Amino acid sequence: MHRAKKVVAVIASSCMLAAWLPMPAHAALVGTQQVLHADSAARAHINAWLARDDVRQALLGNGVDANQVQARVDALTDEEAGDLANRIDRLPAGGDFLGILLAVFVILLITDILGLTKVFPFTRPVR
Amino acid sequence: MLLAGLSACATPQSDALRSALPPGAELDIRGAHELEQVPFYAQERDQCGPATLAMALSASGPQVDPDSLRATVFVPGRGGSLAPEMLAAARRQGRLAVQLAPTIEAVLREVDAGNPVIVLQNLGLPIFPVWHYALVIGYDIGQDRIVLHSGPEPRLQLSLELFERTWARGGNWAMVAVAPQSPPLSPTIDALVEAAAALERVDVRSARLAYGALAQRAPGSFGAWMGLGNSAYTLGDPATAVTAFARASELQPQRADSWNNLATALLAQGSITAARAAIERALALGGAHRNLYEQTAAEIERAPQSP
Repeated sequence: MHRAKKVVAVIASSCMLAAWLPMPAHAALVGTQQVLHADSAARAHINAWLARDDVRQALLGNGVDANQVQARVDALTDEEAGDLANRIDRLPAGGDFLGILLAVFVILLITDILGLTKVFPFTRPVR
Repeated sequence: MLLAGLSACATPQSDALRSALPPGAELDIRGAHELEQVPFYAQERDQCGPATLAMALSASGPQVDPDSLRATVFVPGRGGSLAPEMLAAARRQGRLAVQLAPTIEAVLREVDAGNPVIVLQNLGLPIFPVWHYALVIGYDIGQDRIVLHSGPEPRLQLSLELFERTWARGGNWAMVAVAPQSPPLSPTIDALVEAAAALERVDVRSARLAYGALAQRAPGSFGAWMGLGNSAYTLGDPATAVTAFARASELQPQRADSWNNLATALLAQGSITAARAAIERALALGGAHRNLYEQTAAEIERAPQSP
């Protein structure tokens, strides 16, 4: 969705907004995260809401089970959601080493043996 | 040429650690320690994120199966797991998940204190990154060794220098996931309160345990008392909430939020007169959440007048 359109959608659906923001059980209680970030205004909350929507879309686009996406987004703090929204395609994804190309294999084997890297379980550095 | 340049990579942290005598004395930690009780789960294919997380969680609470974490942390399109989601997934298991300071010192301090540490390494080179999560379970500074449960290998031993290189290429990212009533020792109190507030999003009961431990450890922490009050209130315990908010208001009487929350908790207790006095303090101070204070004041006025 276009960013400007999203802003309109957010403002228009203020009841939805209320549902997504981390609200305390009692409406008149100031939540802990709001207390800790007293300087952040309502605008920051709208930005965080938009970031969460971006993360939701990105996770779906990356093959995450639709039933899991909402709970995963909810567990992120505003800062983490903003970080993921901006860099989800560039953040390091810790996985494994099976996808490495053969050409790279040879270089990394040498650097492993020199003790500069540690890609392969079977190498022992020379020093 | 490339190799020559790389071999010149500095490892200042390892060098400093090794030069201290006796080993560890400078950090005030043991020279060597290994957490032998931490279970090992071999990583399957691209599942180092769920496997590493499962080992860390099983060390600090009930056994957690790597397969059950897969759906909460793995990103199929990226073929791996992302660091912010590693923290979030640990919270969903009711643990206090905290990112550590980017120093080997912080990692070793946590292992010495009994907490295994999840680290993100780039096992390859900057131009051919091989991102990998592993669990630091031990070290021996004198023997120049760090011990990790890593991928298919339990108790993999690396030199401090090699660990420092691979970890620095991963951005020096490290985290612990501990039982909420036992917050880690190396992070700042502010970082721990932030971590507890993040936990409060998904698990209020666990967050309350964390805030309680933090308020006890650092009685001067405004955030810890506010969090304790908010979580106690949410769990239907206004008496504890009143005590905690009163403590926060004493610490920082110029902050309106704590007066407002104190008023709300007093109202829930039926102490109307005290609630009115507290909300007047909040209204006099004003600030970004003034509309909430006015709402609280209106609720107090609507409340049936108690004896």
